[in-house]
Amino acid sequence: MNQTVKCMGLSFQNPVLVASGTFGYGEEYYDIMPFSALGGLVTKTITAARREGNPPPRIVETDAGMLNSIGLANVGLECFLTEKLPWIAKHAGQARVIVNIAGFSVDEYVEVAAAVGSTPGPDALEINLGCPNVRAGYVHFGADPESVHAVISGVRKKVSLPVIAKLTPNVTDIAALAEVAVDAGADALSLINTLPGMKIDLSKRRPVLGMGFGGLSGPAIRPVGVACVYKVYQQMQGMGAQVPIIGIGGICCGADALEYILAGASLVQVGTANFLHPRTPGNVACELAEFCESEQVGNISDLVGLAHER
Amino acid sequence: MEQIRNLGGWRLKPVFEWVRVTRISSVAERTFVIAFNEPKSAAAIGPGQFCMISPCPGSSNVFLPRPFSYYRVADDHTIEILFRTFGRATRWMAGLAPGDRIGVFGPLGNTFNQQPGAERVILAGGGIGLPPIVFLAESLSRLANAPQIDLIYGELGGARVVDLEKVVPSQVRCHITTEDGTVGAKGLVNGQLSRILDTCHSPPAVYTCGPRAMMAAVAGMLDPEKVALFETSCEENMACGRGICQGCAIPLRGEQDSTRYVCCCTEGPVFNGFEVEWD
Repeated sequence: MNQTVKCMGLSFQNPVLVASGTFGYGEEYYDIMPFSALGGLVTKTITAARREGNPPPRIVETDAGMLNSIGLANVGLECFLTEKLPWIAKHAGQARVIVNIAGFSVDEYVEVAAAVGSTPGPDALEINLGCPNVRAGYVHFGADPESVHAVISGVRKKVSLPVIAKLTPNVTDIAALAEVAVDAGADALSLINTLPGMKIDLSKRRPVLGMGFGGLSGPAIRPVGVACVYKVYQQMQGMGAQVPIIGIGGICCGADALEYILAGASLVQVGTANFLHPRTPGNVACELAEFCESEQVGNISDLVGLAHER
Repeated sequence: MEQIRNLGGWRLKPVFEWVRVTRISSVAERTFVIAFNEPKSAAAIGPGQFCMISPCPGSSNVFLPRPFSYYRVADDHTIEILFRTFGRATRWMAGLAPGDRIGVFGPLGNTFNQQPGAERVILAGGGIGLPPIVFLAESLSRLANAPQIDLIYGELGGARVVDLEKVVPSQVRCHITTEDGTVGAKGLVNGQLSRILDTCHSPPAVYTCGPRAMMAAVAGMLDPEKVALFETSCEENMACGRGICQGCAIPLRGEQDSTRYVCCCTEGPVFNGFEVEWD
């Protein structure tokens, strides 16, 4: 069955990708779930310099999800380009390679994007806007329209690859931020990133995580993600913009992915569920194909946004 | 002195299997042994390695898999995990019955150095840090020139003490210590360790696994010049077991008093005890 999805001028062999930070650099799970069988791999967020990350504990389970406070631990741009990316490119097959980047200043975002964009291998860039802006009072880039515009337009000018803005749900109006990202030149929108949360250790009477707060992910946030996709899709339709949405947040099975697609997502990313079983994204893709077959849907793209009033 | 081996060269690729529990038994207060058969990986498992155990989807409110050190691996590929109930996942496991299915992802991580390079070996296990210590005692006892092995096992109270007689080879000298003194000697693991160290005429190899405070105390009383080897098996919350989530950071001493974080799951769980930042 043909599951091909056209998006951002790229062809995806199926609509299921794996989310940044949940599939490493593709190598770690390759023997169990080769990402080459998926729509694409979004690599762990890369910053200009290698980062050690936050003090432990960094993760803790919550009801139907988990909190993480990793602190963007990553190998750094140079190691990524020389050691990780060549392996990924060699093993990608038909899967699309999307490199997720972040920075702590607009200049850093642009620098990292330019370096990745001028290296063979990546098919698109995903911009993680969940970083604190050290030059603007540590407000997250994604929460400030001016910062979103500065980052996306700065990156847009430097790279010819499709640019995906990964939006945070921790804003009053995600649709307004989506509009800013599109005006700045984003080719697609990924949503959502994690929600802030905290778990308290009753015996220590302190937050469990080393940094106190963490990002909540997993099935617990799926309704939030679906609502954000629905809202942003509506906004895009209103603007007359043909900007595809990539749905992320708590997808564990085909039915979960379908919710996102019906809300308006052209592609989906499986994230935290990869930790439960690395074969989850492959199963999601199979279940979507089975659904299309049983419901006699020609292509999954025919379902995008159908939950909206017509 | 290279104390942490890179086993990447021969380490078996981990397998994810749904297996059926063959046996589950209570062996001490809140302490259980769960057994299952997993022939794809059993032959390659070394002491110190661990697996991630997860429930079948929808069968429990446990969300993430949990890491457990291997306790015993039999020649018939029966794998045993020793665990104690602390939270949601271990309570779920304690309620399992023979025939129930669980997800097992392993073997993961590195092993203890099984070439201790010393005539005497001291193994120190505290509380639920016991499993890899028992596995290592069994493994070292099989060496052609097996060293003299002393195994110190500490618990809070006697009700929690696991009977070592059936699981530790007879040539291993066991020293049980409890904080309330109800079983074995009254006191802490490091008290026993100090006494045994005094009887060593040459630098011994020391291996430990237990609560962080216990391992820190052991690290504090060892002189790097006077031990042949000092390895600790560490634990940290983790989600994937494969170095992806970056959740299980262990702080190691970096250059110039800096701290560098490494993943417990891929660079450990066994570390050179002198390199870990215990503070």
